[in-house]
Amino acid sequence: MVDIKKVTKLLSEVVDPSRVSDKDFDLIPYSRDLSPAKQKLPTHIVIPESREEIQAILRIANDENVPVYIRGGGTSHWDAYLAQEPGIMLDMGKMNKIVDINDRDLVVSVQPSCTWAKLDRELRKQGLTYLCSEAGGPAMTVGGSIMKAGAGPHGTAKFGFHGNQDVVTLEMVLPSGDIVQTGSAAWPSAGKFERQCLGPDLAGMFIGAEGTLGICTEITVRIRPATDIQERLLATMPSLDSVIEFGHFINRHVGDEYLQGIYLWVDPTAPEVFTLMMDIFGYEEEIVNHRRDRVVAKVKELGGEFGDRAPADDYFGHILTGLTDLFVAGVWHFFGAGTLRIDDIKFMYNIWKHELVEKRGYKKAGFGGQILPRRWLAFMVTNYREPEEWEELVEMAHGIDELILDGPVIPYGVGGRDGLRDIVASRDTGYYRLLKTLKKTLDPKNILQRGIFIPEEALK
Amino acid sequence: MRIEKYKDMIYACGRCNYCKGIDFNDRCPEIFTQVWESSTARGRMAIARGILEGKLDYTEELAERIFGCFMCARCQEECKKAAQIDVIAITKAMRADFVDRGIKIPEGGEKIAETSLSSGNIFADTPQMHNQWTEGLEFTEGSGILFYPGCLASHRFKEKTNNLVRLLQAAGYILDFLGEEQTCCGTPLWVTGKVANAKQWAQDYLEKLQDRGVKEIITPCPSCFRAFDEEYPELLGLEKFPIIVRHTSAVLEEIVEKKKLEFTVPINKKVTYHDPCELGRYRDIYDPARKIFKALPGVEYIEMARNKENAFCCGGGGAVKTMFEDYSDTVAKERIQEFSSTGAELMTTICPACELNLTQGTYMADIEARVLDVAELMAVSAGIIDEEILESDYFPED
Repeated sequence: MVDIKKVTKLLSEVVDPSRVSDKDFDLIPYSRDLSPAKQKLPTHIVIPESREEIQAILRIANDENVPVYIRGGGTSHWDAYLAQEPGIMLDMGKMNKIVDINDRDLVVSVQPSCTWAKLDRELRKQGLTYLCSEAGGPAMTVGGSIMKAGAGPHGTAKFGFHGNQDVVTLEMVLPSGDIVQTGSAAWPSAGKFERQCLGPDLAGMFIGAEGTLGICTEITVRIRPATDIQERLLATMPSLDSVIEFGHFINRHVGDEYLQGIYLWVDPTAPEVFTLMMDIFGYEEEIVNHRRDRVVAKVKELGGEFGDRAPADDYFGHILTGLTDLFVAGVWHFFGAGTLRIDDIKFMYNIWKHELVEKRGYKKAGFGGQILPRRWLAFMVTNYREPEEWEELVEMAHGIDELILDGPVIPYGVGGRDGLRDIVASRDTGYYRLLKTLKKTLDPKNILQRGIFIPEEALK
Repeated sequence: MRIEKYKDMIYACGRCNYCKGIDFNDRCPEIFTQVWESSTARGRMAIARGILEGKLDYTEELAERIFGCFMCARCQEECKKAAQIDVIAITKAMRADFVDRGIKIPEGGEKIAETSLSSGNIFADTPQMHNQWTEGLEFTEGSGILFYPGCLASHRFKEKTNNLVRLLQAAGYILDFLGEEQTCCGTPLWVTGKVANAKQWAQDYLEKLQDRGVKEIITPCPSCFRAFDEEYPELLGLEKFPIIVRHTSAVLEEIVEKKKLEFTVPINKKVTYHDPCELGRYRDIYDPARKIFKALPGVEYIEMARNKENAFCCGGGGAVKTMFEDYSDTVAKERIQEFSSTGAELMTTICPACELNLTQGTYMADIEARVLDVAELMAVSAGIIDEEILESDYFPED
């Protein structure tokens, strides 16, 4: 049991009391995320403004054996940042500054709760960009994306998920309170310019760990000159096989240069219509034209037809400015989501079509995916009405998740007890055992994100 | 509970956080002043859901989060892209639930409602004091077109209001005025959740206006404008208010479009404009002021970074000024600093509450600048009043 008043007093000694609350009405807004995960209430909300404050909070948490949870924009899709047990919730919202834009080394350092939209707005003022987006929209934070190894419909076709090699350095506060710099920043007299140096790539250990191994307080990522010349295409492909061949064409023939965004959408009302929305970027018009001509030729060779680009404009155009009518048909849920080889997209499609649409008669969920270098990030997404459709939705989504993950699909996000945690834990792999060893070593009292990714009992 | 009416909307919140914005404190003045998630629209929907599900209750402590909302509708503008939740209606319903349940509301809110009820205006002015602004003016009883200044324009901006009426009369409008019969429109009542008082107030006021033969109301105050045009019909169960209600923005635009006055005196100033929330986001009225500036010689118009539907609140909304003055001043200061960063010499708007708060903002930010009504620039350009009012060292007698 958390001694609430005692912990409030202790926290108020290390953080300004105006940024500490244990009031029920302040707690409840932190009890849900974007997913249908059950409500989970923290005992305290603290809004830190510096890594030193985070260090002090972690010391209290260790002394009092109170778990600490982390929240950025609060838009997790899979119960990854909710208080699985009564504990302290860190609202990282005030740590959202752009620390430094280095246009010589082409890197930018930000605090974790800087949103992608804010970063892009400032970079573009200098003719620069990270060229990425998150499907979750303008509230998605850089830290949230990278700590989950997220991906979005722009940029990732070329550069991969957000925690890929574009991450140069991280600053992490470990559960013990120790501060770690990764990459070239680990060498204090050097600087922030390279990911892989001085031994193992420790950044990779934190990326995708969903905050279980440390709290991110600063991130440096690669940036690049903005690519103002672009073409947007929308094509309808005759079959999933043709989509797969197109994916291979993009990867095999031209590296990942032709398209920086490829989004596949299959609507449940027309499960045999495969729509591809594609964005081509480039620094020179003749290069963009060349890429467009090659893409057009390949799509036609595969039997595809080009159509009005308006739906693609609607989709891509709203990513950073707001998805119109996002929740009008009910709140949102992503499920059956994961990464897989380009050829294996058929497996997921078949589960969606045969198990979900035909066998279960669930006809509200669409099937979509983004091509990352040499793989897909694919998912199913639906709207549903809370609270009346919640139970059916959760049961259906869990069943589909189990089917998907029995196949060649790696889960996209793990999360807590309402996420995919238990499915992951049931695979007793060497990887998972090493992760548990790391967790026990770095966080012997299991303070940080307790119950997320690894069930508490698995650490005993 | 009144929020039950909005249950579907409350559950429709997808928790996307669009309401909070990309910088987390550049949209919502409440999160700008109160740091908590519970101060955002997403947070308020979570609180409302908690109350509906019996997991949370209205308390005196909670009042700061609900009555600390500036009701500027900036979050609602974002939510149009997502769940289309009427955050303002839900906030009003929550405030009314406080009152219905007998839970203490912030002292300033209680006081402004009581003062309006007991004295007939929010300043407890005597009718004589309240009408000082009419000095030198003549009205035409029974003209059918009622000039209704409202409390702020009557009490705080005597000179501005006098100038506005001189402008309207010069343009040919034959105006009636209620004189000592004029009382507050009732906005303080529904903003503070006093719905029962508000209903009676609206009923009585409508009778008074009809007895006088009022066919049209012209008011410079967006709150009064919305009171008659939106709140009264809702309170009285009417499909439409039986009297035409026009905000001065529409009338001033009409003066320009129909060339009722000639604008020949050059303004020779860089001018910016603050969109009042209750005109802009509430009623989609953005263009009149901008059209008027184009008609005035010597106006170099500059937009603020946050304008039109993205405009930041002046800090005067939601009766926060009367309940949490520090929050209100902090927001006003922020907005004035934004004005200052444009390089404009004049801050203009078209709402007495905004003028009051933004003027306060100039003191808070220690910036020497005048906050003027659009009508004042028109009156100068039409040669009705002296251009000295444009200068930053001008200090009105009121």
